[in-house]
Amino acid sequence: MTTLLEAREISFAYAEQAPLLDTWSARFDAGSVTALTGSSGRGKSTLLYILGLMLGVDSGEVFLDGEATSLLRDAAKAALRATRFGFVFQDAALDHTRTVLDNVTEAALYRGEDRRALESTARGLLERFAVDLAVDRKPGQVSGGQAQRIALCRALLFQPDILLADEPTGNLDPATSDLVVTALRDHARTGAAVIVVTHSPAVANACDVELRL
Amino acid sequence: MRGAYSLIREATASAMSQRVASVLTILMLAGMVTAVMFTTGRTVAAEQQVLSAIDQAGTRTIQVRAEDDAGLTAGVLDRIAHIDGVEWAAVFSSATDATNAVNTDGLRVPVRYAYSLDFSLLKIPAHVALPGHTGFASAIALDQLGLPDDAGALALHSGEVVTVGGRLDVPEFAARFEPLVLIPVAAFTGDEAANILLVIAESPELVAPVAAATLSVLAVEDPTRISVEVSRELAELRSLIESELGSFSRGLVLALLATTGVLVAAILYGLVMMRRKDFGRRRALGASRGFIVALLLTQTALLAVAGVSAGAGLSTLALIALGDPLPGSSFTAGVGVLAMVTAVTAALVPAIEASRRDPIVELRVP
Repeated sequence: MTTLLEAREISFAYAEQAPLLDTWSARFDAGSVTALTGSSGRGKSTLLYILGLMLGVDSGEVFLDGEATSLLRDAAKAALRATRFGFVFQDAALDHTRTVLDNVTEAALYRGEDRRALESTARGLLERFAVDLAVDRKPGQVSGGQAQRIALCRALLFQPDILLADEPTGNLDPATSDLVVTALRDHARTGAAVIVVTHSPAVANACDVELRL
Repeated sequence: MRGAYSLIREATASAMSQRVASVLTILMLAGMVTAVMFTTGRTVAAEQQVLSAIDQAGTRTIQVRAEDDAGLTAGVLDRIAHIDGVEWAAVFSSATDATNAVNTDGLRVPVRYAYSLDFSLLKIPAHVALPGHTGFASAIALDQLGLPDDAGALALHSGEVVTVGGRLDVPEFAARFEPLVLIPVAAFTGDEAANILLVIAESPELVAPVAAATLSVLAVEDPTRISVEVSRELAELRSLIESELGSFSRGLVLALLATTGVLVAAILYGLVMMRRKDFGRRRALGASRGFIVALLLTQTALLAVAGVSAGAGLSTLALIALGDPLPGSSFTAGVGVLAMVTAVTAALVPAIEASRRDPIVELRVP
């Protein structure tokens, strides 16, 4: 299998705090779904941000397609985040001043693409995850579970090579959770590497690999 | 092109979603432009009116008086035509007494032949029925001659009879010759004797060099019988008004611009602080720092356009309604551009601050 993303002996600590990661290594292959598990405060979300090129490491290296990323300039990392990565944040992180549809197509701005041209695809995704009725609403008018699914639609819109999801089923009922896990697995089958932070044993069991922190 | 269009759309949507801050910014810029228009604008308009009045009164006029035997002739006009910075020139002959031809015992008024290549400044028709034999009289002269209908005939002391072709609207620079009757002569040999030479420079600054050049081409036989009068005091007064009012206006505009800039920066900084999670999300999703800066600057520029347009439009209407003089379109446009530049410049620091929001800090759930 092709390794898309690799963390090699990375160490990280927040300022004046104990190290969260100490020479930690892992590979994330195309077509696989990896679960990051562990108790709260062990650095799962932090690791996701490091793998998503939002946070630098104290030592070690993150490789994307075999290329080291630590020396990349900020603009290059931002461009990679816009073109190669999809993110589902823990609290969905939606823009509460814009409609659901605008939220799903937001990343088009940073990719230099026409948002309107993507609206049809976005509506299809929202329909797939049963949040299409909320398309013209603001995120404040939808439930936490719906917000999480909208965030997933945003992450999947561009079929990213690497999908990073921070507790994407945290606010969902079991049926909807299954729907999301199925969607993540389907996305991995397109050749993407999917990395999921989860506290749910069911979700972890549905993944190809589980890495405990 | 598509990127710019997308940026403007996003900035517009962003401004619309932050209504309070957007309205505050628009109101501030509108207020700033209105304040400038009502203070400096009115001062500038008044200054323009005063300067215009001074200019009309003869700031730019050079008057050369020559005694009868000094040797000044109409030929000087050909030489003056080659001097740069001359707007207009004419020579007047010495005055000869004239009376109403039907009442030769009536009041006498002085009549002068006027030689010039262009009589438009005196508002005398370019072509008259009897060139050299048709005169134009001022209102005072017509009254003294008893010609209320602006028509009739004049009997000159020399015995010649001249037709009155109409009323002469005496310009300010010739008011000192009242009561004034002029017989325009456009076709002259150059040998005609003259007593008065009037030269008008193109601008007050050119009065001194044009006066010097004019004196050098007089070609008179006896320079001691020549006197030159330049409206130096008026020119100095003009310069004084221009510089005093100009510095006052500039100071006021600078103070208002600085105040507006600080307020715009404060509002935007507060906005950035309130929306730091928004900028963190954008950065996490792939927005570059440059995009964030461009977004905020575009948003500010759009609000500035709205504020400046509203301020300029409303204050212009208000000035018209109050009957106050308008400062002119170039002044209004200048204030508008300055206000926009100030707003965008003031937005730069908050925009850079927004672009440096750490996505991790903003997105982490405690």
